Amino acid sequence: MQIKGSRSAGLFHWINNLLLALCAAATVFPFLNLIAVSFSGSRAISAGEVLLWPIDLNTDAYRNLIDDGQLLVAMKNTIQLTVMGTLLNMAFTILAAYPLSKPRLRGRGYMLQAVLFTMLFGGGMIPHFLLVNSLGLVNTYWALWLPALVSVYNMFVMKSFFEGLPSELEESAAIDGANEWVTLLRIILPLSMPVIAALTLFYAVGWWNSYMNVLIYIRSTDKMSLMVKLYQMIDLVSPEMLRSGEGVSERTITPEGIRAAAIVLAVLPIMAVYPLLQKHFVKGVLLGSVKG
Amino acid sequence: MKSLARDKHLYLMLLPVAIYFLLFKYAPLFGEVIAFKQYRLADGIWGSQWVGVEQFRKLFSDREFYTVLRNTLLLNVYNLVFAFPVPIVLALLLNEVRWSGYRRALQNLLYIPHFISWVVLGSMVIAMLSPSTGIVNAVLKLAGLEPIYFMADTFWWPVSYVLSGIWKEAGFGTILYMAAMAGIDPTLYEAAKIDGASKLRRIWHVTLPGIRSTAAILLILQVGRMMDVGFEQVYTLKNPAVNRVAEVISTYVYNRGIENLQYSYSTALGLFQSAVALVLVVGVNRLIKTMGERGLW
Repeated sequence: MQIKGSRSAGLFHWINNLLLALCAAATVFPFLNLIAVSFSGSRAISAGEVLLWPIDLNTDAYRNLIDDGQLLVAMKNTIQLTVMGTLLNMAFTILAAYPLSKPRLRGRGYMLQAVLFTMLFGGGMIPHFLLVNSLGLVNTYWALWLPALVSVYNMFVMKSFFEGLPSELEESAAIDGANEWVTLLRIILPLSMPVIAALTLFYAVGWWNSYMNVLIYIRSTDKMSLMVKLYQMIDLVSPEMLRSGEGVSERTITPEGIRAAAIVLAVLPIMAVYPLLQKHFVKGVLLGSVKG
Repeated sequence: MKSLARDKHLYLMLLPVAIYFLLFKYAPLFGEVIAFKQYRLADGIWGSQWVGVEQFRKLFSDREFYTVLRNTLLLNVYNLVFAFPVPIVLALLLNEVRWSGYRRALQNLLYIPHFISWVVLGSMVIAMLSPSTGIVNAVLKLAGLEPIYFMADTFWWPVSYVLSGIWKEAGFGTILYMAAMAGIDPTLYEAAKIDGASKLRRIWHVTLPGIRSTAAILLILQVGRMMDVGFEQVYTLKNPAVNRVAEVISTYVYNRGIENLQYSYSTALGLFQSAVALVLVVGVNRLIKTMGERGLW
């Protein structure tokens, strides 16, 4: 009986492990396939032979994209969008979360309710557009940065982290005559690195992937973000683009190869920070689920 | 007054934040009045002519509105029925993995698509499902089946939509469930084991009740988004061949408002959407509370 039970339990675990491995493989296979395609020769791509490993290894698709330059301009724009956007986000999120983490603050309850309400009911796309338009911000990055200064969810994550810090630290600082700005900068923020890391990464990934708002607010082609440019390229890999690469023989390039290379370049920075990201985001998500 | 003086620095910190919320979160609510006007850019929000409920009358007699509303609700119902339980099942399976290094490796792989934009994932989905070069149809061909035009077929498009949503979010969705499972008192499992409960019965009687409140909260949030199918997923996946099942409220507002400048009409639609969403989330919150779970508020 005992033996039979443990054997069936062993079988269960074996099947379970295998099943999950299949799920994980199915999740990442498309990405691996894409990388393989981006480095493969055109004949193998057209014949559908490429699975996980490049066939007729070459870097023509990347050379073509770099010579063409459009994607690089869009990438430069997106870096600007991401760096400035994330800095503004963090500054405003901290400025909102720190005072609101103080139970002694008068009017705190009302302010929290007012902030929460904006999560449940918001002005729609068009009223937002008309507001940004009337402020004269259309076609500037401020049209993207300003309306998204604080994510309410992230603000609550940060607030619950601050609430978890021991209050004695601040009391001793107050006795030493430090005001709240000094306390925040010198004592609170250095202790809050885990949540700062998590939220910085959440915001940055959001900016890197920004698409809809760019579509709505940005008009000039030279200001387009990476994702909008990528969408246009995927929609239509122009014949001119295929010819623009110097020293690259036309026959070695296919639209599929170009698309794959463009996607790999666009996803690369996120994958580069992913090992860093995975340490922190679980904590960030769980902090947010603690009711504040 | 004394507390105001004492906390003046804290209020000073909140000042820019308050201006932000008033200007960018509350002012647009007043902008919703153009749903009751015939908005013209030259006249501005306040100068434009009042037309009462004319925009809504137009909306409710527009056949396209009902198509868009039906698509929005249907895609959400599909998500609720087919996608919502997936992270729960996935978390249950992951929770049974004994070797923690292997589990962490699996989790890290499953989380990846969450961080990738719909532009990228959408184009990958379209490429994989392509009838000529896609891998899925290559497999179908090997099995001797006819290739399927997944993205151009009004039956297969919603299927692809739901599956691609699962691909992106199911792994990430396990985080909260895994945390809830880690919080279950291990003595409950031991007691159940001593009582001779099989693994399935232990999952049914111990694990599932342990994650009930987490599931309840996530359910409320999901229903709160019932009227709002994410713009980017639909926009990157849809094509003219399937507009009949794929056009949803957000893409329709974008199309009529931003691209065709019908500001008042699309604002009326947006306002209708927000109002129904608010009623739904308040309603489900109350329902969950009467079932004995903690609500969102």
